Amino acid sequence: MTAEVQPVARPPFDAELRAGLAVVGGMFPPTITPDLIDFMRVSYAAPPIEDLLVAKGIVCTDDVVVAPDGHEVAVSVLRPKDAPGERPGVVYAHSGGLMFGDRFSGIDLVLDWVSDFGAVLVTVEYRLAPEHPHPYPFDDMYAALEAAASRAGDWGLRRDRLVVAGASAGGGLAAGLALAARDRDGPVLRGQVLDYPMLDDRGTTASTHQFDGIGVWDRVSNETGWTALLGDARGTEAVSEYAAPARARDLSGLPPAFIDVGAAEIFRDEAIAYADGIWRAGGDAELHVWSGAFHACDIFAAHTSVGRAMIRARNDWVERIIAD
Amino acid sequence: MQELLGRIARLDPSASLGLRVIACFDELMVGNVNTRALLAAAASLAGCVAGFHSETPAKTVRIDPRGHHAADVRPEVDPAFQQDASDGLTVWLERNGERQPNDAIVLERLALAVRMRHGRGRESDHRRDLSLLLDAEVDVQARCVSAITLGLRPGTRYRVVCAPLFAVWPEHPQGPEDVVATRFGAIHALVLPASAHEVAAVPSGVGVATEVEDLHHSFRTALVALRLCDPPAVGSVLADDFGGLIGLLADAPDGSFQPDVALVDAVMAYPWGAETLSSVVRSHSLRQAAREAGVHHSTMQSRLETVNATLGFDPFEGYGRTRLGTAYLVWRLRHSRVLDLPAPTATPRGS
Repeated sequence: MTAEVQPVARPPFDAELRAGLAVVGGMFPPTITPDLIDFMRVSYAAPPIEDLLVAKGIVCTDDVVVAPDGHEVAVSVLRPKDAPGERPGVVYAHSGGLMFGDRFSGIDLVLDWVSDFGAVLVTVEYRLAPEHPHPYPFDDMYAALEAAASRAGDWGLRRDRLVVAGASAGGGLAAGLALAARDRDGPVLRGQVLDYPMLDDRGTTASTHQFDGIGVWDRVSNETGWTALLGDARGTEAVSEYAAPARARDLSGLPPAFIDVGAAEIFRDEAIAYADGIWRAGGDAELHVWSGAFHACDIFAAHTSVGRAMIRARNDWVERIIAD
Repeated sequence: MQELLGRIARLDPSASLGLRVIACFDELMVGNVNTRALLAAAASLAGCVAGFHSETPAKTVRIDPRGHHAADVRPEVDPAFQQDASDGLTVWLERNGERQPNDAIVLERLALAVRMRHGRGRESDHRRDLSLLLDAEVDVQARCVSAITLGLRPGTRYRVVCAPLFAVWPEHPQGPEDVVATRFGAIHALVLPASAHEVAAVPSGVGVATEVEDLHHSFRTALVALRLCDPPAVGSVLADDFGGLIGLLADAPDGSFQPDVALVDAVMAYPWGAETLSSVVRSHSLRQAAREAGVHHSTMQSRLETVNATLGFDPFEGYGRTRLGTAYLVWRLRHSRVLDLPAPTATPRGS
């Protein structure tokens, strides 16, 4: 018997990113328990974006779409001010663990696609757990996707060049949208951008257990998020694949996927498994696993070498899919 | 990251952003990152372009807050936002307008980090005064000079308070403070008058009171006290409560052979183990331990029979008390999670 606590073996954080954690930890603690949800709703609320939109030459129009239960979901349609006519469209699901954040959280990176590639971005105020468990967040997102197709003319979108995108919890929602659009003969998608997506409610991967109490979004935070979304059903066979796409049995017939994830975060293994599942099913996926990267380090520390490389690789892929 | 610093300040107006800037650059220096990475961090923290110029070889680097290169032409820079890093090495922030609260500390840390990266000044000790003061290896005269520089008076007694960077400070006492590198990572250290027995910070450890030349000892006891915290139940620990024992704990090597700790481990394996030992070490009898734990004395009696059998000694008899008490504290230190787990506020403040 030993009285020593064995340290967990895990890949190290990149030095620039470790420095970034000294700042990030002050507003986004590694371990988020249910009693911190209110704190995170304040801490992770997006800052005002008006100045940024002006600087990037982007016009923002607010609208609503109607969810299956009649709820009016707020959306913002962001387009380049000097690009008339119908433009490629991106339906975007924001990050925030399904419990916090708003449709402008982490948006600056996605705005590059509007300013640089002339895309029209539809970003969605989906309802948040635990007040609104599954299927509300997913249904809100799907309503926005259907509206992007059915109201393409109003919003100035090209129906034939639509992609879904999302980060973290939003990445999981975007993956769910691609599955549902396939299953329901919904809008035809040209691509799905899944940034360090939250795909698996079971929490059984090796990477989930490597980052406890460290970095951004640890095992406990993930349990908090999934429990908020699924309640007692978390981890059981009752969980829908639209809520937790890692549970999908059939990954064929999906649009090309771009998946990126950090080597030093809990979602590493589920992201790799999802890309692998798409390949096995004969699909198209591009997977990037970034050495030394903690969860969402491109949002929190875009200035770092790893952050820049992540953004560049993603933007190259998006440009290939959507640019004229 | 400037925007993140702003969020932290809005969440907690008393938060020391300067400490976070210092910790950020400390990590960059430990990581031995290049000039571009240092400039990118400075630009990101300040929210404006950060620049570097070396005379030989002649080179200018300018990096924007997103980490991208700006044109490598050296602009006119307000001398107030420029600092010599070393002979022939200059760094600056391209701030147009008012000085921002963190500009001075960002520029100072950037200059230091660039100097180190370029191999200048590796000969001498560039640690700041508080780090020198708290290091027993540093010559006592040098420590006294550091103390005086920090405004501490020789012959007066002080205490060192230790906290993680993530600690929550409902109120922030005034005293010399800094981020100090320890083998547990960067620790926030603060020096307070000896009369300060309690601080509100969670988690935090308050060291024993000493004169300035022994503050390294106060620091070590504060670090042990901090590691004994277990928030929310135990938010702050005062080293004085453990008298001379805490000095022994501070001196005990990490991996030292402690057979009694292995025995405590065996007791802790029982679902009732932690609660029972915590009650026993604070009690003088079985009945008092039962009251402390809030269980019937017959329950405590049967648990104690198991404890005695597992330990091989009676924790209420003679040296048994000392053995259990000491092993229990070492066990807590070895299982301490207080430095891994930050303790943010459960409810947002200032919002």
